[in-house]
Amino acid sequence: MANMETFYYDNKIVRNFAIATIAFGVIGMLVGILIAFQLVFPVLNFDTSFLTYGRLRPLHTNAVIFAFVGNGIFTGVYYSLQRLLKTRMYSDLLSSLHFWGWQLIILSAAVSLPLGLTSSKEYAELIWPIDLAIAVVWIIFGINMFMTIIKRREQHLYVAIWFYIATWVTVTVLHVFNNLQIPVSFFHATNVFAGVQDALIQWWYGHNAVAFFLTTPYLGLMYYFMPKAANRPVYSYKLSIIHFWALIFIYIWAGPHHLLYTSLPDWAQSLGTVFSIMLIAPSWGGMLNGLLTLRGVWDKVRVDPVLKFFVVAVTAYGMATLEGPLLSVKSLNAITHYTDWTVGHVHIGALGWNGMLTFGMLYWLFPRLFNTPLYSVKLANYHFWIGTLGILFYAIPLYWAGWTQSLMWKQFSPDGFLVYGNFLETVTQILPMYRIRAIGGSIYYVGFLIMVYNLWKTAAAGKLIANQEASSPPREENAVHTGEYWHKWIERKPIQMLVVSAVLILIGGIVEIIPMLMIDNNIPKIASVKPYTPLELEGRDIYIREGCVGCHSQMVRPFRSETERYGDYSKSGEFIYDRPFLWGSKRTGPDLHRVGGKYSDSWHYNHMWDPESMAAGTIMPRYPWLFENDLSTKYTAAKIKNLQMLNTPYPDNYADKAVSDLEAQAKKVAANLEKDNIKMEGLEKKEIVALIAYLQRLGTDIKVESSEVIKK
Amino acid sequence: MAKYILESAGNINWMALFALITFMTVFLLVVFMVFMDNKAFIKKMENLPLDTEDDMPTSFSKHS
Repeated sequence: MANMETFYYDNKIVRNFAIATIAFGVIGMLVGILIAFQLVFPVLNFDTSFLTYGRLRPLHTNAVIFAFVGNGIFTGVYYSLQRLLKTRMYSDLLSSLHFWGWQLIILSAAVSLPLGLTSSKEYAELIWPIDLAIAVVWIIFGINMFMTIIKRREQHLYVAIWFYIATWVTVTVLHVFNNLQIPVSFFHATNVFAGVQDALIQWWYGHNAVAFFLTTPYLGLMYYFMPKAANRPVYSYKLSIIHFWALIFIYIWAGPHHLLYTSLPDWAQSLGTVFSIMLIAPSWGGMLNGLLTLRGVWDKVRVDPVLKFFVVAVTAYGMATLEGPLLSVKSLNAITHYTDWTVGHVHIGALGWNGMLTFGMLYWLFPRLFNTPLYSVKLANYHFWIGTLGILFYAIPLYWAGWTQSLMWKQFSPDGFLVYGNFLETVTQILPMYRIRAIGGSIYYVGFLIMVYNLWKTAAAGKLIANQEASSPPREENAVHTGEYWHKWIERKPIQMLVVSAVLILIGGIVEIIPMLMIDNNIPKIASVKPYTPLELEGRDIYIREGCVGCHSQMVRPFRSETERYGDYSKSGEFIYDRPFLWGSKRTGPDLHRVGGKYSDSWHYNHMWDPESMAAGTIMPRYPWLFENDLSTKYTAAKIKNLQMLNTPYPDNYADKAVSDLEAQAKKVAANLEKDNIKMEGLEKKEIVALIAYLQRLGTDIKVESSEVIKK
Repeated sequence: MAKYILESAGNINWMALFALITFMTVFLLVVFMVFMDNKAFIKKMENLPLDTEDDMPTSFSKHS
């Protein structure tokens, strides 16, 4: 063909991201295995602050989501984008900045999270300087991607690229709004939103992080790599278009299904449920589109490990996206929420959908990047079967555990008492399931390591084709497109695509969130609910630092089984000073919203020193460092000032006397402890005192008198 | 079921209706657009990833 242009695809950046995917997969999953075993053998917390479950759990989730899957996304995007657009990436420098910036962010997360530097918001735990770095690197990625699209040689944008664009724009919006904070210091910040609003924004973010980080980019990869591996076009391109628009429109609304039966207003919960159920349609449309792409080539699935991985990945996607909507139905959610069912569910997504798709993609990519056959197809097949087995051994015990524990929580005797009044009984009952889960995770990991070996040998046998030659005619800049429908017009225009996607996802966000921000209209104020004292505030920050929210909720749902066990159900007005909210999403230990005044100060003291001494058989780790560390009051005044800026009603100039108030209250707690024969040098200065003060305050504001709603 | 959900939404029925109407509009528009596309164009689009020259001439090894 005349007028062909020759250019080179950048494979080096693809290889770099692929290596990072593998390396952080090795680390992230290893941490996952460690915390799974910690739940069975608490001794594995090693009485060491930076190795405790509460701090390592966010490390595991962040490493798997943003390091393993994140790098997996970039691997696939950088490979497919260049080829679908018939051009090299716009700028090698931006590609490189993106790569190294992202790895630096991951490393800073790997350091900061074990140190307890966290904002405590699930999947957005990183502190504000890292949040800013993420924004910068994400924008670099965006510029690189859009400029590549603009200088493309292919006129039309294949559907995979639409998914990449929607991913970019939505993650940008989510990241900004969920991380709005006012810095107190380099490591600490005050959340702009409080209580119910914070919860809604967090789960609007959290749910859509699943949607637009773990799902839409991977659907883009599916639409590219699945036809590639099967060597036939996608089953229905028309269906993929409908899949795209319906999915991005509906997904954004479903966040509140994480907050059913909480203090979130009913209307928001209902919206979350309805849209979650609607999600089944586009999700299954996408799944079927993927699976039906293999029509006529199922014989290849028998021999090609890449296709095997893809089949299990897409099937897991289908299972998880059916399960998700079902769990959003209130009656089912009442049983499964806060249990291990949720953990099983997300791992069908993570291990099945993201993991298996990544593996398939890597097995497909490495031979091509290094221009050599895969070292061993047999090993890849072993990996497939071991990985699939690992998923089953991981998820099934957790479904079992979740169901069992929930029914135990709700079991009443004929006399009307809770049969399992001691929460711990319901934990020890499911420990065997935790054991099998940890083994299941390990099995999956063994498969992963086999892949690492196989790909290592493949890379060693070949040589990276860093710049791969290709040719294509240039794009017709001013082509006349008469008589075409505006659908094609959108497809040719990346910026229009960006704008339309942004508008669609913003509709859901705005309609759902803006009314919630009208705080006075939506949150009934309760007269007796007062701001935290400086000591309680510092105690709360220790609670956040130690990741207590990973195992303890602070949200008593309006069920008899919960009000009997914990006390009065939680009211939205009780959380108006909670920045950030700490409702939690999992009860590995009991809910703590009404724990204030339930036990003596000395009980908490002994319990934090050695949980076993107060509750034999517990799996809670020890926190000995709280008894060694002196409480830092360096930023107490600054925290109070920030809270005042956000309308927390402390008296004028309270920041000046906050520390003296803190010390006075600490002395009282210490005196209380001394009454129970707890003597320790400088006790009133220790962190444990602040934590006790906070725990004793929890949920007590409306305990004394019945809640008086002064303002609707 | 739908009636119950709409009722439980209290005085913000407009929100449920708004969501439903915007979704239906977008959905119908997309379906309409998709079915107006001509076959040749769809064929071209669905074959975009399959340009084998993009990849190294490699096949899976049979050795193990």
